[in-house]
Amino acid sequence: MGNVSRLLADYGPAFGQALLLTWKLTAVSFVAGFMLGTVVTVLRLLPLRPLRFVLTVYVEIFRNIPSVALLIFIVFALPDLNVLIDYEPSVILTLALVCSAFTADYLRTGINTVAGGQAEAALSLGMRPIRVITAVVLPQALRAVVQPMTSLLIALMLSTSLASQVPYPGRELTALVAKIANDSAAGMSAFAVAAAMYLASGLLIAWAGAALEKKVRILR
Amino acid sequence: MSRALEDILFGAPNPKARAAARAMSVAVAAVLLVVAAGIVYQFHAAGQLDARLWKLFAWPTTWGFLAKGMFGTLASATTAAVIALVLGLVLLLGRLSRLRFARWPSVAVIEFLRGVPTLLLIYVCFLVLPSAGIKLSTYWMLTLPVGLSTAAVVAEVYRAGVLAVPRGQTDAARSLGLTEAQVFFFVVFPQALRYIVPALVAQLVIVVKDTTFGYVVTYGELMQNAKVLIANYHALVPVYLVVAVLYCLVNYAISRASKQLGRPMH
Repeated sequence: MGNVSRLLADYGPAFGQALLLTWKLTAVSFVAGFMLGTVVTVLRLLPLRPLRFVLTVYVEIFRNIPSVALLIFIVFALPDLNVLIDYEPSVILTLALVCSAFTADYLRTGINTVAGGQAEAALSLGMRPIRVITAVVLPQALRAVVQPMTSLLIALMLSTSLASQVPYPGRELTALVAKIANDSAAGMSAFAVAAAMYLASGLLIAWAGAALEKKVRILR
Repeated sequence: MSRALEDILFGAPNPKARAAARAMSVAVAAVLLVVAAGIVYQFHAAGQLDARLWKLFAWPTTWGFLAKGMFGTLASATTAAVIALVLGLVLLLGRLSRLRFARWPSVAVIEFLRGVPTLLLIYVCFLVLPSAGIKLSTYWMLTLPVGLSTAAVVAEVYRAGVLAVPRGQTDAARSLGLTEAQVFFFVVFPQALRYIVPALVAQLVIVVKDTTFGYVVTYGELMQNAKVLIANYHALVPVYLVVAVLYCLVNYAISRASKQLGRPMH
């Protein structure tokens, strides 16, 4: 325990900043990825073959590519194509793209839980198809995917660790542990502190997700 | 089988709606083609389509090297998967145990390994353990953390399967006089496995993705070998593109296999 308190005396503020950066990366990329994924889901419903095909390819690519391979491509290969993105936006873009593909996948499953009769009823009331999607189907689908989206958010929070793979001046938790382990012999206690922070963040998200699920779930 | 939402919403269009959809499709296709052409032009303008950058893919040695990397990836992923399947079973047994001193540590280990990034575990094996006098080969520095964090997820997948087996099966097996171990291994677990095989195969995708971190410990998997190729030939964009496509293909194949297995059996 003495090791940990000495470590916190030396690196306490650094750990606080690292935790905040981890949270920030998680939140920003989740919001962006979630919105993008919702748009993709809706667009995939439209009766436009070329669009559906391209979006299916999009979802399969970003569901299957390892995030770190995507990040390395964005950071190191895109500059050769005259596309220069700063490190932090690169990390957020990577996570958001991956998150959007999984969101699209889960939301489609959520849409399948909405009974077809509801869409038929809405159409017979004279609603346009787009309105049926946004006013009838999507709200119920969103309420059905709280649990998988919670797991996705936790996975995304853990994935922010790949920001340590680019020479990013701000350090999130994993990069900070790697630096402390490199500079000093306090690697083990640094790992313990970072692990505790990751665990606490994960439990917090799981708890919030469960509370939301309880509030919005549809009992059938 | 009820109809898919798309069919209900757009299934029986009148001629006017059909013509509008067709016109829109053509317009969208045109826009997508323009975007694709723009990307190709960007490659061309940046000089990334030059033959000298791509000629290394005409050499069998390049593909041999990439195949070696792919073999490294699959070797690590397979071992990690075996670790995960076995350790996951041990953790599950602990978690389901009625003995408190077996259950609580199992829950703690599962929650810990699930809640910490795999990359952080790799850094511990890579940077922290050597200073504590534990030296692992690069293969194990990658495979062990990946296997451990997958084991925790697999334990939870197993548990979901076991809980899905109807309670009557356990009761019936017990009333036949089977011991607890026999009930679990001969009656409950085989049935649980049938429920969760798709989820287990899908987990393999995550294992393959996690082995990408092999380059962190300089283990010769696909990503590491790609970096070596780039260092030798300075063909950054082509090599990363090809490697990304290879990863996508492998994982897509695994996902498809998982979906096939997930179909109901008749």
